[in-house]
Amino acid sequence: MRDVAIIGCGMTKFGRIEGKNLMDLMVEASLRAIDDAGVGEEDFDSVYVGNMMAGELTHQTAIASALVDRINLIPAAAERVENGPASGASAVKNGFLAVASGASDLVLVAGGEKMTEADTDVITDLVSTMTHPTAEYVHGVTLPAMAALLTRLYMERYGLTERHLAMVAVKNHSNAMKNPYAHIQRPCTVEGAMSSVMIADPLRLYYACPISDGAAAVVLCPLEKAKEFADKPVRIAGFGHASDVQTLHEREDPAVLKSVQLASQRAFEMAKLKPKDIDVVETHDAFEILEIVQSEDAGFFEKGKGHLAVEKGVTALDGELPINPSGGLKARGHPVGATGVAQIVELVWQLRGEAGERQVKGAKRAFACNFGGFGNNTVIHILERVG
Amino acid sequence: MQERLTGFKCKRCGRVTYPKHERCLSCRGTEFEEVGLGDECTLLTYTKLYALPEGIEMPPLTLGVVDFGGGVRALGQIISDDPKIGMKLRPVWGKLRKIGEEEMYGFKFEPAEKG
Ligand SMILES: [Zn+2]
Repeated sequence: MRDVAIIGCGMTKFGRIEGKNLMDLMVEASLRAIDDAGVGEEDFDSVYVGNMMAGELTHQTAIASALVDRINLIPAAAERVENGPASGASAVKNGFLAVASGASDLVLVAGGEKMTEADTDVITDLVSTMTHPTAEYVHGVTLPAMAALLTRLYMERYGLTERHLAMVAVKNHSNAMKNPYAHIQRPCTVEGAMSSVMIADPLRLYYACPISDGAAAVVLCPLEKAKEFADKPVRIAGFGHASDVQTLHEREDPAVLKSVQLASQRAFEMAKLKPKDIDVVETHDAFEILEIVQSEDAGFFEKGKGHLAVEKGVTALDGELPINPSGGLKARGHPVGATGVAQIVELVWQLRGEAGERQVKGAKRAFACNFGGFGNNTVIHILERVG
Repeated sequence: MQERLTGFKCKRCGRVTYPKHERCLSCRGTEFEEVGLGDECTLLTYTKLYALPEGIEMPPLTLGVVDFGGGVRALGQIISDDPKIGMKLRPVWGKLRKIGEEEMYGFKFEPAEKG
Protein backbone atom coordinates (compact mmCIF):
# COMPACT_ATOMS: atom_id res chain seq x y z
CA MET A 1 0.00 0.00 0.00
CA ARG A 2 1.16 3.55 -0.75
CA ASP A 3 1.35 6.25 1.91
CA VAL A 4 -1.50 8.73 1.53
CA ALA A 5 -1.40 12.47 2.21
CA ILE A 6 -4.04 15.13 2.69
CA ILE A 7 -2.88 18.09 0.61
CA GLY A 8 -5.87 20.37 0.87
CA CYS A 9 -8.94 20.97 2.98
CA GLY A 10 -11.85 23.33 3.31
CA MET A 11 -15.29 23.68 4.81
CA THR A 12 -18.30 25.96 4.90
CA LYS A 13 -19.56 27.66 7.99
CA PHE A 14 -21.77 25.23 9.90
CA GLY A 15 -25.15 26.32 11.18
CA ARG A 16 -28.46 27.42 9.79
CA ILE A 17 -27.24 28.52 6.37
CA GLU A 18 -29.92 30.53 4.57
CA GLY A 19 -30.00 30.76 0.80
CA LYS A 20 -27.65 27.85 0.10
CA ASN A 21 -28.87 24.38 -0.72
CA LEU A 22 -26.99 21.11 -0.19
CA MET A 23 -25.20 21.27 -3.53
CA ASP A 24 -24.20 24.92 -2.99
CA LEU A 25 -22.58 23.93 0.29
CA MET A 26 -20.83 20.90 -1.20
CA VAL A 27 -19.53 23.01 -4.08
CA GLU A 28 -18.23 25.71 -1.72
CA ALA A 29 -16.35 23.25 0.51
CA SER A 30 -14.96 21.32 -2.45
CA LEU A 31 -13.66 24.42 -4.23
CA ARG A 32 -12.00 25.59 -1.02
CA ALA A 33 -10.25 22.24 -0.62
CA ILE A 34 -9.15 22.16 -4.28
CA ASP A 35 -7.93 25.73 -3.98
CA ASP A 36 -6.12 25.00 -0.72
CA ALA A 37 -4.35 22.07 -2.38
CA GLY A 38 -3.54 24.14 -5.46
CA VAL A 39 -4.74 21.42 -7.81
CA GLY A 40 -7.28 23.42 -9.82
CA GLU A 41 -5.63 22.48 -13.11
CA GLU A 42 -5.14 18.79 -12.29
CA ASP A 43 -7.28 15.80 -13.31
CA PHE A 44 -9.07 14.08 -10.43
CA ASP A 45 -9.36 10.29 -10.62
CA SER A 46 -12.14 9.81 -8.10
CA VAL A 47 -14.63 11.64 -5.92
CA TYR A 48 -16.28 10.27 -2.77
CA VAL A 49 -19.28 12.10 -1.35
CA GLY A 50 -20.33 11.47 2.25
CA ASN A 51 -24.02 12.09 2.79
CA MET A 52 -26.77 10.38 4.74
CA MET A 53 -30.13 11.88 3.82
CA ALA A 54 -30.07 13.99 0.64
CA GLY A 55 -32.90 12.01 -0.90
CA GLU A 56 -35.08 12.26 2.17
CA LEU A 57 -34.30 15.83 3.25
CA THR A 58 -33.50 17.75 0.08
CA HIS A 59 -35.17 15.62 -2.60
CA GLN A 60 -32.00 15.09 -4.57
CA THR A 61 -30.33 11.76 -5.26
CA ALA A 62 -27.10 10.70 -6.98
CA ILE A 63 -25.44 13.80 -5.58
CA ALA A 64 -21.89 12.70 -6.44
CA SER A 65 -22.83 12.92 -10.12
CA ALA A 66 -24.28 16.36 -9.46
CA LEU A 67 -21.13 17.55 -7.68
CA VAL A 68 -18.67 16.56 -10.44
CA ASP A 69 -20.99 18.28 -12.92
CA ARG A 70 -21.15 21.54 -10.93
CA ILE A 71 -17.40 21.85 -10.47
CA ASN A 72 -16.28 19.96 -13.58
CA LEU A 73 -14.34 17.07 -12.19
CA ILE A 74 -15.61 15.06 -15.15
CA PRO A 75 -14.77 12.24 -15.95
CA ALA A 76 -13.65 11.34 -12.36
CA ALA A 77 -15.20 8.19 -10.88
CA ALA A 78 -17.83 9.69 -8.58
CA GLU A 79 -19.95 8.02 -5.94
CA ARG A 80 -21.88 8.76 -2.77
CA VAL A 81 -20.96 6.91 0.41
CA GLU A 82 -23.71 6.37 2.99
CA ASN A 83 -22.89 5.03 6.42
CA GLY A 84 -25.33 6.83 8.68
CA PRO A 85 -23.67 9.68 10.62
CA ALA A 86 -20.26 8.13 9.77
CA SER A 87 -20.83 8.73 6.04
CA GLY A 88 -18.13 11.44 6.10
CA ALA A 89 -15.39 9.30 7.62
CA SER A 90 -16.41 6.37 5.44
CA ALA A 91 -15.97 8.59 2.40
CA VAL A 92 -12.50 9.61 3.63
CA LYS A 93 -11.65 5.96 4.20
CA ASN A 94 -12.71 5.10 0.65
CA GLY A 95 -10.59 7.94 -0.68
CA PHE A 96 -7.65 6.70 1.37
CA LEU A 97 -8.03 3.16 0.01
CA ALA A 98 -8.30 4.43 -3.57
CA VAL A 99 -4.96 6.24 -3.25
CA ALA A 100 -3.25 3.62 -1.08
CA SER A 101 -4.13 0.84 -3.51
CA GLY A 102 -2.69 2.72 -6.46
CA ALA A 103 -6.07 2.94 -8.20
CA SER A 104 -6.25 6.75 -7.91
CA ASP A 105 -3.62 9.50 -7.80
CA LEU A 106 -5.84 12.47 -7.00
CA VAL A 107 -9.04 12.18 -4.97
CA LEU A 108 -11.64 14.62 -3.68
CA VAL A 109 -13.66 13.65 -0.61
CA ALA A 110 -16.60 15.89 0.25
CA GLY A 111 -19.23 15.47 2.95
CA GLY A 112 -22.35 17.51 3.44
CA GLU A 113 -25.87 17.68 4.75
CA LYS A 114 -28.67 20.26 4.60
CA MET A 115 -30.91 19.70 7.62
CA THR A 116 -32.33 22.92 9.03
CA GLU A 117 -35.10 23.37 6.50
CA ALA A 118 -36.80 20.15 7.58
CA ASP A 119 -39.05 19.82 10.65
CA THR A 120 -37.19 18.67 13.76
CA ASP A 121 -39.73 15.84 14.11
CA VAL A 122 -38.93 14.61 10.62
CA ILE A 123 -35.19 14.62 11.34
CA THR A 124 -35.60 12.91 14.70
CA ASP A 125 -37.70 10.23 13.04
CA LEU A 126 -35.33 9.72 10.10
CA VAL A 127 -32.37 9.39 12.45
CA SER A 128 -34.37 7.01 14.66
CA THR A 129 -34.78 4.68 11.69
CA MET A 130 -31.11 3.76 12.18
CA THR A 131 -32.25 1.69 15.16
CA HIS A 132 -33.60 -1.87 14.89
CA PRO A 133 -37.06 -1.72 13.25
CA THR A 134 -38.89 -4.25 15.46
CA ALA A 135 -36.76 -4.42 18.60
CA GLU A 136 -36.15 -0.66 19.03
CA TYR A 137 -37.77 1.79 16.60
CA VAL A 138 -41.35 0.58 16.96
CA HIS A 139 -41.17 0.98 20.75
CA GLY A 140 -40.57 4.71 20.38
CA VAL A 141 -36.79 4.76 20.57
CA THR A 142 -35.02 7.91 19.41
CA LEU A 143 -31.28 8.61 19.41
CA PRO A 144 -31.59 10.85 22.50
CA ALA A 145 -33.32 7.90 24.22
CA MET A 146 -30.40 5.61 23.33
CA ALA A 147 -27.93 8.15 24.67
CA ALA A 148 -29.98 8.52 27.86
CA LEU A 149 -30.03 4.75 28.43
CA LEU A 150 -26.25 4.68 28.09
CA THR A 151 -25.88 7.73 30.34
CA ARG A 152 -27.89 6.16 33.16
CA LEU A 153 -25.84 2.96 32.93
CA TYR A 154 -22.72 5.07 33.31
CA MET A 155 -24.15 6.95 36.26
CA GLU A 156 -25.09 3.72 37.99
CA ARG A 157 -21.85 1.90 37.27
CA TYR A 158 -19.11 4.54 37.22
CA GLY A 159 -20.41 7.47 39.25
CA LEU A 160 -20.80 9.81 36.30
CA THR A 161 -23.02 12.77 37.21
CA GLU A 162 -25.00 15.24 35.19
CA ARG A 163 -22.40 17.86 36.06
CA HIS A 164 -19.81 15.94 34.02
CA LEU A 165 -22.02 16.11 30.93
CA ALA A 166 -22.45 19.83 31.51
CA MET A 167 -18.67 20.24 31.81
CA VAL A 168 -18.15 18.59 28.41
CA ALA A 169 -20.75 20.94 26.93
CA VAL A 170 -19.10 24.01 28.50
CA LYS A 171 -15.69 22.98 27.16
CA ASN A 172 -17.00 22.38 23.65
CA HIS A 173 -18.94 25.65 23.58
CA SER A 174 -15.83 27.46 24.73
CA ASN A 175 -13.71 25.85 21.99
CA ALA A 176 -16.31 26.65 19.34
CA MET A 177 -16.17 30.35 20.27
CA LYS A 178 -12.62 30.22 18.88
CA ASN A 179 -13.77 28.49 15.69
CA PRO A 180 -15.28 30.82 13.06
CA TYR A 181 -16.79 27.81 11.25
CA ALA A 182 -18.72 26.60 14.30
CA HIS A 183 -22.52 26.62 14.47
CA ILE A 184 -22.85 27.63 18.13
CA GLN A 185 -20.97 30.81 18.95
CA ARG A 186 -22.10 31.53 22.48
CA PRO A 187 -20.73 30.57 25.87
CA CYS A 188 -22.49 28.16 28.16
CA THR A 189 -22.13 27.60 31.89
CA VAL A 190 -22.45 24.42 33.93
CA GLU A 191 -25.50 25.88 35.68
CA GLY A 192 -27.02 26.99 32.37
CA ALA A 193 -26.56 23.55 30.83
CA MET A 194 -27.96 21.88 33.93
CA SER A 195 -31.10 23.98 33.82
CA SER A 196 -31.79 23.44 30.11
CA VAL A 197 -34.92 21.50 29.16
CA MET A 198 -35.04 17.76 29.84
CA ILE A 199 -35.39 15.79 26.59
CA ALA A 200 -34.69 12.22 27.73
CA ASP A 201 -34.06 12.00 31.47
CA PRO A 202 -31.18 12.27 32.49
CA LEU A 203 -30.33 13.96 29.21
CA ARG A 204 -30.98 17.68 28.79
CA LEU A 205 -30.99 19.73 25.60
CA TYR A 206 -27.47 21.02 26.26
CA TYR A 207 -26.04 17.50 26.41
CA ALA A 208 -26.97 17.00 22.75
CA CYS A 209 -25.79 18.49 19.44
CA PRO A 210 -27.85 20.92 17.36
CA ILE A 211 -29.24 20.33 13.86
CA SER A 212 -26.98 22.00 11.29
CA ASP A 213 -26.25 22.60 7.63
CA GLY A 214 -22.73 22.43 6.27
CA ALA A 215 -20.11 20.75 4.14
CA ALA A 216 -16.42 19.91 4.35
CA ALA A 217 -13.88 18.53 1.88
CA VAL A 218 -10.33 17.20 1.61
CA VAL A 219 -7.98 16.40 -1.28
CA LEU A 220 -5.83 13.26 -1.15
CA CYS A 221 -2.84 12.09 -3.15
CA PRO A 222 0.12 9.72 -2.68
CA LEU A 223 2.55 11.06 -0.07
CA GLU A 224 5.42 10.85 -2.56
CA LYS A 225 3.64 13.40 -4.77
CA ALA A 226 2.34 15.57 -1.95
CA LYS A 227 5.32 17.91 -1.83
CA GLU A 228 4.60 18.99 -5.43
CA PHE A 229 1.42 20.64 -4.15
CA ALA A 230 1.56 21.22 -0.41
CA ASP A 231 4.09 22.79 1.94
CA LYS A 232 2.62 20.97 4.91
CA PRO A 233 1.07 17.68 3.84
CA VAL A 234 -0.55 15.54 6.50
CA ARG A 235 -0.23 11.77 6.30
CA ILE A 236 -3.14 9.43 7.01
CA ALA A 237 -1.16 7.11 9.27
CA GLY A 238 -3.96 4.62 9.83
CA PHE A 239 -7.63 3.91 9.85
CA GLY A 240 -9.86 1.41 11.60
CA HIS A 241 -13.46 0.52 10.88
CA ALA A 242 -15.58 -1.96 12.83
CA SER A 243 -19.21 -2.81 13.50
CA ASP A 244 -21.19 -4.37 16.35
CA VAL A 245 -24.72 -5.71 16.89
CA GLN A 246 -27.40 -3.17 16.05
CA THR A 247 -29.46 -3.18 19.23
CA LEU A 248 -28.04 -1.65 22.39
CA HIS A 249 -29.43 -4.47 24.51
CA GLU A 250 -27.72 -7.28 22.59
CA ARG A 251 -24.21 -5.87 22.95
CA GLU A 252 -21.89 -7.94 25.07
CA ASP A 253 -21.93 -5.07 27.57
CA PRO A 254 -24.31 -2.21 26.71
CA ALA A 255 -21.93 0.23 28.42
CA VAL A 256 -19.06 -0.69 26.09
CA LEU A 257 -18.74 0.60 22.54
CA LYS A 258 -16.97 -2.42 21.14
CA SER A 259 -16.86 -1.04 17.61
CA VAL A 260 -14.91 1.95 18.96
CA GLN A 261 -12.50 -0.37 20.76
CA LEU A 262 -11.91 -2.54 17.70
CA ALA A 263 -11.70 0.27 15.16
CA SER A 264 -9.28 2.18 17.42
CA GLN A 265 -7.06 -0.86 17.96
CA ARG A 266 -6.92 -1.46 14.21
CA ALA A 267 -6.07 2.18 13.51
CA PHE A 268 -3.33 2.27 16.15
CA GLU A 269 -1.92 -1.01 14.85
CA MET A 270 -1.80 0.27 11.28
CA ALA A 271 -0.23 3.57 12.37
CA LYS A 272 2.20 1.73 14.68
CA LEU A 273 1.21 4.17 17.41
CA LYS A 274 -0.31 4.05 20.88
CA PRO A 275 -2.96 6.27 22.49
CA LYS A 276 -0.22 8.10 24.42
CA ASP A 277 1.31 9.24 21.09
CA ILE A 278 -1.79 11.28 20.21
CA ASP A 279 -1.79 15.06 20.79
CA VAL A 280 -5.31 16.06 19.77
CA VAL A 281 -8.62 14.24 19.34
CA GLU A 282 -11.97 14.84 17.66
CA THR A 283 -14.79 12.64 18.94
CA HIS A 284 -18.37 12.09 17.82
CA ASP A 285 -20.16 13.89 20.66
CA ALA A 286 -23.64 13.89 19.16
CA PHE A 287 -24.39 13.50 22.87
CA GLU A 288 -21.86 14.54 25.51
CA ILE A 289 -21.89 11.08 27.09
CA LEU A 290 -20.38 9.79 23.84
CA GLU A 291 -17.28 11.97 24.12
CA ILE A 292 -16.59 10.39 27.51
CA VAL A 293 -17.31 6.79 26.47
CA GLN A 294 -15.37 7.09 23.20
CA SER A 295 -12.36 8.58 24.99
CA GLU A 296 -12.27 5.45 27.16
CA ASP A 297 -13.04 2.82 24.55
CA ALA A 298 -10.50 4.35 22.14
CA GLY A 299 -7.89 3.72 24.83
CA PHE A 300 -7.09 7.24 26.06
CA PHE A 301 -8.51 6.68 29.55
CA GLU A 302 -9.29 3.69 31.69
CA LYS A 303 -12.88 2.40 31.41
CA GLY A 304 -15.13 4.33 33.76
CA LYS A 305 -12.58 7.13 34.29
CA GLY A 306 -13.27 9.34 31.28
CA HIS A 307 -15.48 11.73 33.26
CA LEU A 308 -12.67 12.23 35.79
CA ALA A 309 -10.38 13.36 32.95
CA VAL A 310 -13.01 15.97 32.02
CA GLU A 311 -13.22 17.06 35.66
CA LYS A 312 -9.44 17.52 35.85
CA GLY A 313 -9.28 19.53 32.64
CA VAL A 314 -7.21 16.88 30.82
CA THR A 315 -9.42 17.20 27.74
CA ALA A 316 -9.53 21.02 27.74
CA LEU A 317 -7.79 23.01 25.00
CA ASP A 318 -4.77 23.55 27.28
CA GLY A 319 -4.94 20.06 28.85
CA GLU A 320 -2.73 17.03 28.22
CA LEU A 321 -5.13 15.60 25.62
CA PRO A 322 -7.41 18.24 24.12
CA ILE A 323 -10.64 16.71 22.82
CA ASN A 324 -12.81 18.50 20.27
CA PRO A 325 -10.86 21.75 19.88
CA SER A 326 -13.30 22.54 17.04
CA GLY A 327 -16.22 22.54 19.45
CA GLY A 328 -17.20 19.00 18.46
CA LEU A 329 -20.60 17.99 17.20
CA LYS A 330 -22.04 19.79 20.21
CA ALA A 331 -20.96 23.24 19.13
CA ARG A 332 -19.30 23.10 15.69
CA GLY A 333 -22.57 21.43 14.72
CA HIS A 334 -23.54 18.12 13.14
CA PRO A 335 -24.61 18.22 9.51
CA VAL A 336 -24.40 14.43 9.57
CA GLY A 337 -22.70 13.61 6.25
CA ALA A 338 -20.24 16.49 6.71
CA THR A 339 -19.14 15.67 10.26
CA GLY A 340 -16.58 12.93 9.58
CA VAL A 341 -14.89 15.07 6.93
CA ALA A 342 -15.03 18.21 9.10
CA GLN A 343 -13.23 16.32 11.89
CA ILE A 344 -10.40 15.57 9.46
CA VAL A 345 -10.33 19.19 8.24
CA GLU A 346 -10.03 20.44 11.83
CA LEU A 347 -7.21 18.01 12.58
CA VAL A 348 -5.33 18.94 9.40
CA TRP A 349 -5.47 22.58 10.48
CA GLN A 350 -4.27 21.56 13.94
CA LEU A 351 -1.34 19.56 12.52
CA ARG A 352 -0.37 22.37 10.16
CA GLY A 353 -0.48 24.84 13.05
CA GLU A 354 -3.26 26.83 11.36
CA ALA A 355 -6.02 26.51 13.95
CA GLY A 356 -5.73 30.06 15.23
CA GLU A 357 -6.90 30.72 18.77
CA ARG A 358 -7.85 27.08 19.28
CA GLN A 359 -4.46 25.75 18.17
CA VAL A 360 -3.19 22.83 20.25
CA LYS A 361 0.48 23.74 20.64
CA GLY A 362 2.92 21.48 18.84
CA ALA A 363 0.31 18.94 17.74
CA LYS A 364 1.97 16.20 15.68
CA ARG A 365 -0.51 13.34 15.73
CA ALA A 366 -4.28 13.41 15.75
CA PHE A 367 -7.17 10.98 16.17
CA ALA A 368 -10.73 11.19 14.83
CA CYS A 369 -13.74 9.07 15.78
CA ASN A 370 -16.88 9.13 13.62
CA PHE A 371 -19.95 7.11 14.50
CA GLY A 372 -22.53 5.50 12.22
CA GLY A 373 -25.63 4.30 14.04
CA PHE A 374 -25.49 4.40 17.83
CA GLY A 375 -22.09 2.91 18.54
CA ASN A 376 -22.50 -0.07 16.24
CA ASN A 377 -20.39 1.24 13.37
CA THR A 378 -17.26 3.29 13.97
CA VAL A 379 -14.66 4.76 11.65
CA ILE A 380 -11.35 5.95 13.13
CA HIS A 381 -8.57 7.88 11.40
CA ILE A 382 -5.12 8.71 12.73
CA LEU A 383 -3.29 11.61 11.10
CA GLU A 384 0.35 12.62 11.35
CA ARG A 385 2.31 15.74 10.51
CA VAL A 386 4.96 15.06 7.87
CA GLY A 387 8.47 16.35 8.58
CA MET B 1 -51.80 -10.86 20.13
CA GLN B 2 -48.75 -12.93 20.87
CA GLU B 3 -48.74 -15.30 23.84
CA ARG B 4 -45.21 -14.64 24.97
CA LEU B 5 -42.14 -12.59 24.21
CA THR B 6 -40.03 -14.93 22.12
CA GLY B 7 -36.34 -15.27 21.53
CA PHE B 8 -34.49 -17.52 19.12
CA LYS B 9 -32.39 -20.36 20.44
CA CYS B 10 -29.57 -21.58 18.19
CA LYS B 11 -29.92 -25.32 17.60
CA ARG B 12 -26.15 -25.64 17.27
CA CYS B 13 -24.80 -23.77 20.31
CA GLY B 14 -27.85 -22.90 22.41
CA ARG B 15 -27.39 -19.14 22.38
CA VAL B 16 -30.64 -17.21 22.68
CA THR B 17 -30.96 -13.98 20.71
CA TYR B 18 -33.67 -11.35 20.58
CA PRO B 19 -34.41 -10.09 17.97
CA LYS B 20 -33.80 -12.76 15.35
CA HIS B 21 -30.59 -12.96 13.36
CA GLU B 22 -30.39 -15.25 10.33
CA ARG B 23 -27.00 -16.46 11.53
CA CYS B 24 -26.24 -17.05 15.20
CA LEU B 25 -24.27 -14.25 16.88
CA SER B 26 -22.06 -16.82 18.58
CA CYS B 27 -21.51 -19.71 16.13
CA ARG B 28 -23.11 -18.60 12.81
CA GLY B 29 -25.56 -21.50 13.03
CA THR B 30 -28.66 -21.02 10.89
CA GLU B 31 -31.32 -23.08 12.64
CA PHE B 32 -33.26 -21.77 15.59
CA GLU B 33 -36.20 -22.73 17.76
CA GLU B 34 -38.50 -20.16 19.29
CA VAL B 35 -38.30 -19.98 23.06
CA GLY B 36 -40.09 -17.81 25.62
CA LEU B 37 -37.80 -15.22 27.21
CA GLY B 38 -39.58 -15.76 30.52
CA ASP B 39 -42.02 -13.96 32.79
CA GLU B 40 -39.52 -12.19 34.96
CA CYS B 41 -36.84 -9.67 34.13
CA THR B 42 -34.86 -6.93 35.84
CA LEU B 43 -34.58 -3.26 34.82
CA LEU B 44 -31.00 -2.54 33.75
CA THR B 45 -31.36 1.11 32.66
CA TYR B 46 -34.17 3.46 31.66
CA THR B 47 -35.02 6.92 30.41
CA LYS B 48 -38.09 9.12 30.57
CA LEU B 49 -38.46 10.53 27.09
CA TYR B 50 -40.04 13.99 26.88
CA ALA B 51 -39.37 14.70 23.20
CA LEU B 52 -41.73 12.07 21.84
CA PRO B 53 -41.69 10.37 18.46
CA GLU B 54 -44.80 10.45 16.26
CA GLY B 55 -47.78 8.43 17.41
CA ILE B 56 -47.20 8.62 21.15
CA GLU B 57 -49.32 11.30 22.75
CA MET B 58 -48.49 11.67 26.42
CA PRO B 59 -45.02 12.49 27.71
CA PRO B 60 -43.04 11.15 29.31
CA LEU B 61 -42.57 7.80 27.63
CA THR B 62 -40.48 5.54 29.82
CA LEU B 63 -38.17 3.24 27.88
CA GLY B 64 -35.84 0.71 29.43
CA VAL B 65 -33.51 -2.19 28.85
CA VAL B 66 -34.51 -5.31 30.78
CA ASP B 67 -32.38 -8.31 31.60
CA PHE B 68 -33.73 -11.88 31.52
CA GLY B 69 -30.44 -13.38 32.71
CA GLY B 70 -27.90 -15.39 30.76
CA GLY B 71 -27.04 -12.39 28.60
CA VAL B 72 -30.58 -12.18 27.16
CA ARG B 73 -32.06 -8.69 27.22
CA ALA B 74 -34.76 -6.64 25.54
CA LEU B 75 -35.70 -3.02 25.14
CA GLY B 76 -39.22 -1.76 25.63
CA GLN B 77 -41.68 0.63 27.18
CA ILE B 78 -41.84 0.52 30.97
CA ILE B 79 -45.25 0.94 32.58
CA SER B 80 -44.25 2.66 35.79
CA ASP B 81 -44.16 6.26 37.02
CA ASP B 82 -41.32 5.43 39.36
CA PRO B 83 -38.88 3.13 37.58
CA LYS B 84 -35.85 1.95 39.53
CA ILE B 85 -32.78 0.12 38.33
CA GLY B 86 -32.98 -3.47 39.55
CA MET B 87 -36.78 -3.55 39.85
CA LYS B 88 -38.52 -6.79 38.79
CA LEU B 89 -40.69 -6.52 35.70
CA ARG B 90 -42.75 -8.81 33.47
CA PRO B 91 -43.70 -8.58 29.80
CA VAL B 92 -47.29 -7.61 28.92
CA TRP B 93 -48.87 -7.25 25.48
CA GLY B 94 -50.20 -3.84 24.55
CA LYS B 95 -50.38 -0.95 22.13
CA LEU B 96 -47.00 0.68 21.55
CA ARG B 97 -47.69 3.64 19.25
CA LYS B 98 -49.20 4.72 15.98
CA ILE B 99 -47.02 4.94 12.90
CA GLY B 100 -48.96 6.78 10.23
CA GLU B 101 -52.48 5.38 10.59
CA GLU B 102 -51.32 2.00 11.81
CA GLU B 103 -51.51 1.02 15.47
CA MET B 104 -48.46 -0.96 16.50
CA TYR B 105 -48.64 -3.61 19.23
CA GLY B 106 -45.94 -5.45 21.11
CA PHE B 107 -44.63 -6.34 24.54
CA LYS B 108 -44.06 -3.73 27.22
CA PHE B 109 -42.91 -4.25 30.76
CA GLU B 110 -44.84 -3.72 33.99
CA PRO B 111 -43.82 -4.20 37.63
CA ALA B 112 -43.95 -7.88 38.59
CA GLU B 113 -45.68 -6.98 41.83
CA LYS B 114 -48.23 -4.26 41.54
CA GLY B 115 -48.25 -2.03 44.63
ZN1 LIG C 1 -25.08 -20.61 17.77
